[in-house]
Amino acid sequence: MSGDIVMAAKMIGAGLAMIGALGGGIGVGLSVQGAVQGMARNPDTYGNLLSSMILGIAFSEAIAIYCLVIAFLMLFVV
Amino acid sequence: MEKAEKKWRWGFHRWIVLALIILNVVAVNLYAPVQPHIQVAAENIITEPLFTLPVIGDFYLTNSLIATILMYIVIILIALAVRNSWKKNPVAPKGIAGVFEMLVDMIYNMTETTAGKYAAKVFPWFASIVIVLLFANLMKLIPGFESIGVLRHSEHGYEIQALGNGTWSTLLNKEAHNGGYTLVPFLRGVSTDLNFTTALALIAVVMIQVIGVQANGVRYFEKFINVRNIFKKPLFGVIDFIVGLLELISEFAKILSFTFRLFGNMFSGMVLLAVVGVMIPVFLPSGLMLFEVFIGVIQALVFGMLTMVFMAQATQGHGAEEEQK
Repeated sequence: MSGDIVMAAKMIGAGLAMIGALGGGIGVGLSVQGAVQGMARNPDTYGNLLSSMILGIAFSEAIAIYCLVIAFLMLFVV
Repeated sequence: MEKAEKKWRWGFHRWIVLALIILNVVAVNLYAPVQPHIQVAAENIITEPLFTLPVIGDFYLTNSLIATILMYIVIILIALAVRNSWKKNPVAPKGIAGVFEMLVDMIYNMTETTAGKYAAKVFPWFASIVIVLLFANLMKLIPGFESIGVLRHSEHGYEIQALGNGTWSTLLNKEAHNGGYTLVPFLRGVSTDLNFTTALALIAVVMIQVIGVQANGVRYFEKFINVRNIFKKPLFGVIDFIVGLLELISEFAKILSFTFRLFGNMFSGMVLLAVVGVMIPVFLPSGLMLFEVFIGVIQALVFGMLTMVFMAQATQGHGAEEEQK
């Protein structure tokens, strides 16, 4: 019985940890929005914007990945 | 004429793809996929430790260690091949040497635009991190990776069936009631081991400091403990001091973010492939595998590029900037 409660708490905790991915998603969307607008105004900057955009996406995606790591730690380690 | 031949080639490849899809469906129906045992730490292949150090503890032969050794062997062989091809034809390298010339050229141009005159110092770190991580992340494509290994007794295991004379067995998709087996693969993705990513992040962050010291001398550390203005302008001096402490904390945060970015991306890819491979074994895993290749290449570039950007920042120097004002 107590094992089941711990299991349920693990699942709920992992689910709650993934709420943080919300921020990562918003960040990725905003950075792509900015980069695409810049490309539309000045198509010559495509290459520069693309590399900075991917770097920025990796930064904001890292936050979502931290949440994922916490969720995995809850599910598979603790 | 040429066009017709091209069309025929495309049709030929289409039949191969169709045959593989049919094979996939048949194979999944004959032999249902088994959900692997997912574990964050790398699994030990041999249960006894290899050797024991007095303070640090036991050392085990883990599957990601074997994969790391395999990765380095592959990298060394490719380096020798590139060297041979370079000796034969230094002007226009062919084959794999051409690919590496393109990669290294791209990386060097990227370094030069960011790091300027320190490009020659920053470039080797950027290039070696990118090449090591490219191989580490793309090694997953080898068939048998994370699927061939030793069987180990476990409480929540599966039943097994012997293949041929019994040297090799296969797991069945039936949960055993009293102690079945789970699979401990021989090879596991290198970046899905926290030890590897931590080591790489430590190397990157320590070398950022070393390059900063080489460029600015002892004054590099003024960035962290900033007491220059504390007597002249007390208020701003204190603010500068606190900002310096924050810089010190952010150096440690860099280690964490480097480590968990790479580990999280690659480990989540592994778990995703394992879970989706059991739930929807047809079509979808192929697409996800392609996506994982993309993620692996992007993460290799991002790790290297961030190292390069931080190194370039470290060379710029905090003190000289303020004197100019």
